[in-house]
Amino acid sequence: MSLRTEVGGGSGESALSVASTPAQPASSALERPPARGRRPVSLQTRSLIAASMALFAFLGLSGFALDQAFYESSLQQLRDRLQGYVWSYLSGSDVTVSGRLVLPEFPPDQRFDRPQSGLYAGVSGKNVSWESPSALGRNLPFEVQLEPNQTRFVGPVETNIGGVFVFSQGVDYAYGDGSKSVRLTFHIAEHQSALERQMQVFRRTLWTWVVILGLMLLAVQLGVLRWSLTPLRKVERDLARVERGESEQLPGHYPRELEGLTETLNDFIQSERYQRTRYRNTLADLAHSLKTPLAVLRNQLDSGEDGERLRRLVDEQVGRMDQIVAYQLSRGATSGHTTFAAALELVAPAEEIVRSLEKVYAAKNVLCEFDIDPGARFHGERGDLMELLGNLLENGFKWCGHRVLLTARRAGPIGARRPGLELLVEDDGPGIAPDQVEHVLQRGVRGDEQVKGHGIGLAIVQDVVKAQRGQLGIDRSPELGGARFTIKLLAS
Amino acid sequence: MRILLVEDEAPLRETLAARLKREGFAVDLAADGEEGLYFGREMPVDIAVIDLGLPKMSGMELVAALRKDGKKFPILILTARSSWQDKVEGLKSGADDYLVKPFHVEELLARLNALVRRASGWTRAVLECGPIALDTTAQTVSASGQQVELTSYEYKVLEYLILHAGELVSKADLTEHIYQQDFDRDSNVLEVFIGRLRKKLDPDNVLKPIETVRGRGYRFAIPRSN
Repeated sequence: MSLRTEVGGGSGESALSVASTPAQPASSALERPPARGRRPVSLQTRSLIAASMALFAFLGLSGFALDQAFYESSLQQLRDRLQGYVWSYLSGSDVTVSGRLVLPEFPPDQRFDRPQSGLYAGVSGKNVSWESPSALGRNLPFEVQLEPNQTRFVGPVETNIGGVFVFSQGVDYAYGDGSKSVRLTFHIAEHQSALERQMQVFRRTLWTWVVILGLMLLAVQLGVLRWSLTPLRKVERDLARVERGESEQLPGHYPRELEGLTETLNDFIQSERYQRTRYRNTLADLAHSLKTPLAVLRNQLDSGEDGERLRRLVDEQVGRMDQIVAYQLSRGATSGHTTFAAALELVAPAEEIVRSLEKVYAAKNVLCEFDIDPGARFHGERGDLMELLGNLLENGFKWCGHRVLLTARRAGPIGARRPGLELLVEDDGPGIAPDQVEHVLQRGVRGDEQVKGHGIGLAIVQDVVKAQRGQLGIDRSPELGGARFTIKLLAS
Repeated sequence: MRILLVEDEAPLRETLAARLKREGFAVDLAADGEEGLYFGREMPVDIAVIDLGLPKMSGMELVAALRKDGKKFPILILTARSSWQDKVEGLKSGADDYLVKPFHVEELLARLNALVRRASGWTRAVLECGPIALDTTAQTVSASGQQVELTSYEYKVLEYLILHAGELVSKADLTEHIYQQDFDRDSNVLEVFIGRLRKKLDPDNVLKPIETVRGRGYRFAIPRSN
């Protein structure tokens, strides 16, 4: 009682997914992911911003320090100068026998005689008060009395003519026969404008040079940056040429820092090209292999065959086409040895599959045990791992009595970049006779023969294993007595 | 058995439905996910066959929605995608079995039978209650080793009763789960079937396999052997 003609309704959908599924990864690899948010600032801008900020801070601080230092030293100079005037006045002055103060006829500087000259002198003491002609009517702070030899330098002090710096020194004048003395305090004041002028000139020169220096350093920085980014631009240009198809891969030498990147890019380009070729081949294979059963069908239709014979023939060819589609589809989806393979952990996918199988084979009450080394990893696509585990475990569930054992362990040297993996699936079923093993593997490879049990699933497993450059072996399980499938994936 | 078939491909849906009806299922048909959800919620469904690629609401979503509603009937998913990742996803969403398109109808029927049996706690294909054995694959019945000839409706009534052996099955349950909606639901017909079943299974009236619970329904009285 066969109703296999109904199957045609379903195959429309599967034929459709043949075209779409393998094409999907290829197209997504070419499309750029949509940019999210704002573009990050360019390397050049980053570097420039960082350098300018550092430069600005450095030059600003050193300018400020120089300014301060110069101001301090100018103040010290001013103090020394004012003290010099005090000494000049002191040396030129005298006190008469009667105790009257006589100041020198000629002041140490002409400006002491000129009104509003900015330089003022004064003497204060008990019953004594003198101011230089320049200080007349200026109301300068000349009242302070100091102990002999005590000096004081203050400023800028606000007065009615603006800020002034005042140097004062106390003296003890002995007169007469030396038994009498008079205490006096000499004051010299200078208007702050002189110091300000000096500071202004200094600052103008200082900051002009600071700015010139800053600009020069920035220019140097820009040059250095362009020079060090040249290799990156070269990579970009070379990559564009690869994209346009003008060259096969990134040529030439690059600086040590970029070599890792360019090598990986080359790997990537190669594997992408390999994938594309494989998809094309798979598609071509699929088309070719479907044409044979189609030709058979057409011939039979043309030859006027009908009735039971035609029915049987259609059934046969539909089954064959189904197998071809399933096989080529899985072969197209196998990604194999990829450059950027994630290291996949095995327990979670194995558990997912076993939970599924326990549903499907609920009536059998299978006990499936795991012996998975926590360090075991599969390097590849998740889909490939699922196919390996799914097909082998389903095979186990299908043929076992009650027990299935999945073993996974690391293989190969410890230090390898990708450690190898050994996967074993055993069951307590009838097993496969040694003389049948070769036959089963052969059937798997061809994948075009309707075999109950070890059919298309094993072919898929073999494809994945081959793409991963591994080995598949079948023997008898020493522990459970049934079949044992062993997959060895090499370290690299 | 009342089956819900959700499949958007019209030719496949119609041929499958015709075949399922011939095999003795009462079939509810839905062409998209939303319709499927409506039937799944409103009808006393025993089992569902759901295609994964459905318009309006994907098969996966439909399965998840039915499970979220607390529907416990077994679900078999049909899919054109044969990768393990897809199978696992489908079963994770709450389905109990899957079948990859294209498939043989025999395969589907066998899986459906197994699922129905499993759902009512039977593990083997032959349901045995004392001397009465019902083979769900061959759809044959024997009493004390003697083959019993039954019409297809008689078989369906008996199958439903034995699947729920020991439980009270109301007349409404029986009609809903066995008859297509357009069937004449006169309860007399059911009584006639039960009467004939009793006569065929137990001509000497010693086993008394089917009990009448007055005013409430029937119960298959012989306990399960396995």
